[in-house]
Amino acid sequence: MRELVAKLAALDPDAGAAVKVIAYFDRLIEGQAGLEPIVRGAAVLAGCPARLIDDERRVHIEIEADGRRRDAVTRPDPAWLSAPVVPGGPQALWLERPGPAGPIDAMVLERATAAARVVLARTRRGVAAGCVTPHDPASVEVVLDATVPADLRLNAARRLGLDRTARARAVALEGGLARVEAASGSQAPDPDVGRRRAGVGPAVAVLELPSSWAAARTALRLTADGTASDPGPRIVHADHLGGLAVLAAAVVAATEPAPDVRALERVGADAPWMLATLDAIASSPSLRAAAGVLSVHHSTLQDRIARAEHLLGWSIREPQGRLRLQLALVLRRLHRNRPLEAEWDRRPPWT
Amino acid sequence: MTGEPMTTTTPAPSAVGPPPPFDLELAAVLDVLGDQMSLPVTVDMIPAMRASFAQWRTSDEDLSRGGAFEVQDLSVPGPPGAPAVSLLVCRPTATSAPMAAIYYMHAGGMILGDNRLGLPEALDWAQELNLAIVSVEYRLAPEHPHPAPVEDCYAGLVWTATHAGDLGVDPDRIIVAGGSAGGGLAAAVALLARDRGGPPLAGQMLMCPMIDDRNDSPSSRQMAGQGVWDRNANSTGWSALLGAGCGGPDVSPYAAPARAADLSGLPTAFVDVGSAETFRDEDVTYATRIWQAGGRAELHVWPGGFHGFDRTAPQAAISRDAKAARVRWLRRVLQA
Repeated sequence: MRELVAKLAALDPDAGAAVKVIAYFDRLIEGQAGLEPIVRGAAVLAGCPARLIDDERRVHIEIEADGRRRDAVTRPDPAWLSAPVVPGGPQALWLERPGPAGPIDAMVLERATAAARVVLARTRRGVAAGCVTPHDPASVEVVLDATVPADLRLNAARRLGLDRTARARAVALEGGLARVEAASGSQAPDPDVGRRRAGVGPAVAVLELPSSWAAARTALRLTADGTASDPGPRIVHADHLGGLAVLAAAVVAATEPAPDVRALERVGADAPWMLATLDAIASSPSLRAAAGVLSVHHSTLQDRIARAEHLLGWSIREPQGRLRLQLALVLRRLHRNRPLEAEWDRRPPWT
Repeated sequence: MTGEPMTTTTPAPSAVGPPPPFDLELAAVLDVLGDQMSLPVTVDMIPAMRASFAQWRTSDEDLSRGGAFEVQDLSVPGPPGAPAVSLLVCRPTATSAPMAAIYYMHAGGMILGDNRLGLPEALDWAQELNLAIVSVEYRLAPEHPHPAPVEDCYAGLVWTATHAGDLGVDPDRIIVAGGSAGGGLAAAVALLARDRGGPPLAGQMLMCPMIDDRNDSPSSRQMAGQGVWDRNANSTGWSALLGAGCGGPDVSPYAAPARAADLSGLPTAFVDVGSAETFRDEDVTYATRIWQAGGRAELHVWPGGFHGFDRTAPQAAISRDAKAARVRWLRRVLQA
């Protein structure tokens, strides 16, 4: 087939070999081909054996140049041409030929890995925590909806690559978007959400995902833009909230802001550094650490604190005053991030 | 009936559904090949197509497979009053004992190809099952209309059977085989051998055979303009072979085996075909009629296969299965 592609490319220079390779894998993707046809396509188009190895997903497919599947499982030779399927991940697709890659080989690697990525995102099984999960909106919607019968939720979870015994987290994203991510261990890494704010729910059994979703949305209310006017963390884990979750439940759309929240708004208007400074003081273990976070001299920070205490009317250096400041900052975020509508609770808009 | 005015809609007798979808890997190959596979086949294109086929001709070196086969080109008597016929004989060098043989008729729509076309697959069988291959160079239409092609094939078969000893072939274990037009010729040669008291055959392997000049089955209509060797291409081939009589009442079953009224007394048959090709229905019908006549046939319909899919896309999973089924049948029939 490699020779055939080369001949066809020679016959028809406008539709060169690269176009042929693209057409081949595009059709496989469009038809939702499995991994084996993709690896076979790589082998026959490159004219040498090809393999796909993904230890994490327990995928190991070796195909001869004539399309036959090899039973043997061997280790790849590092000298072969290869490419990762997930950008930044380990080398996964291998062409059993030493480099350098010709134009057809390079295109085969590029298109075959792209096709494999689509399949793995669709059929992911037993993935360790931290891997980007598929965000099939319909399936995510079902697993997060407690009103859906359990068997349907389990089916949807399977489509997301989560079996009945898997543990997973719901992630609530800024803008009302949802994700489900596989979890292993108790410590959740921050999800890969780009610049969006995210609340991360606790790791739960698949059927408990609706509760993880509820907690994730609460956590999302405690996130901030991380800017001067809205300082604070962009990602908040529900596991770390403690009693703040109770506080969050108490602040609904109709709740009047507490006087300390109004005071914060007022002092925030006094100087552009004010809110970020207060947040650094509230969240740092010491004033020296807070000065480091703010990149200001210790004496500058002392001046700012004096100004803030004067405007607020309470000390923010004493433990009680610091707690009062922390609560005021949290309440301010809870007011800025109002709880979502009842309709949204039942049927959120999805990624 | 009510007294209301009736709207009569005459159901079109030719109503068929959309073409069955191609197998995914096969579709991907078709996308790669693009126009190369789907060019319309018309009479005026025959010279160009023959030239194109010639450039893919299997070389002597490829035929010998590094010395595994002894390759001979023999010239043997043709049909009465006709030129000699050339036979390409490929015999495994490893064995001297009489062996079973495949008498092979190449593809090409009755208008294209030579006796090396398709031989690589036959050589695979020969290597795996220790067989001799005899491939006949029959004359092509339209220069040589019916009965020239089939009579050339039959003459070569008779010579092969009567000279089996010289070729190191067991005369009781000769299977006629071919694909597409070659499959039609293999079926026709089996009919001739039956009707003329010719050589006994151990089997007939009909791969997506071209057997019905009427070219009007549901699959022929359903696949018009689709895939490989569509209804129009088929019409070009049959018209070249049969001229003005094509599709008419007087076509010989030795030209178009689907026309045979009697399919009893034939050697055991292997028939395969893709579900997404012109020949699907005529081939399924042929196998069915063999059973109905009390004969033996094995039928494979490969879902989503276009015409000759296993040759165009040999690496595809479905092609590998199709080819493996042929080897299994040969092994069973020949008890090799």
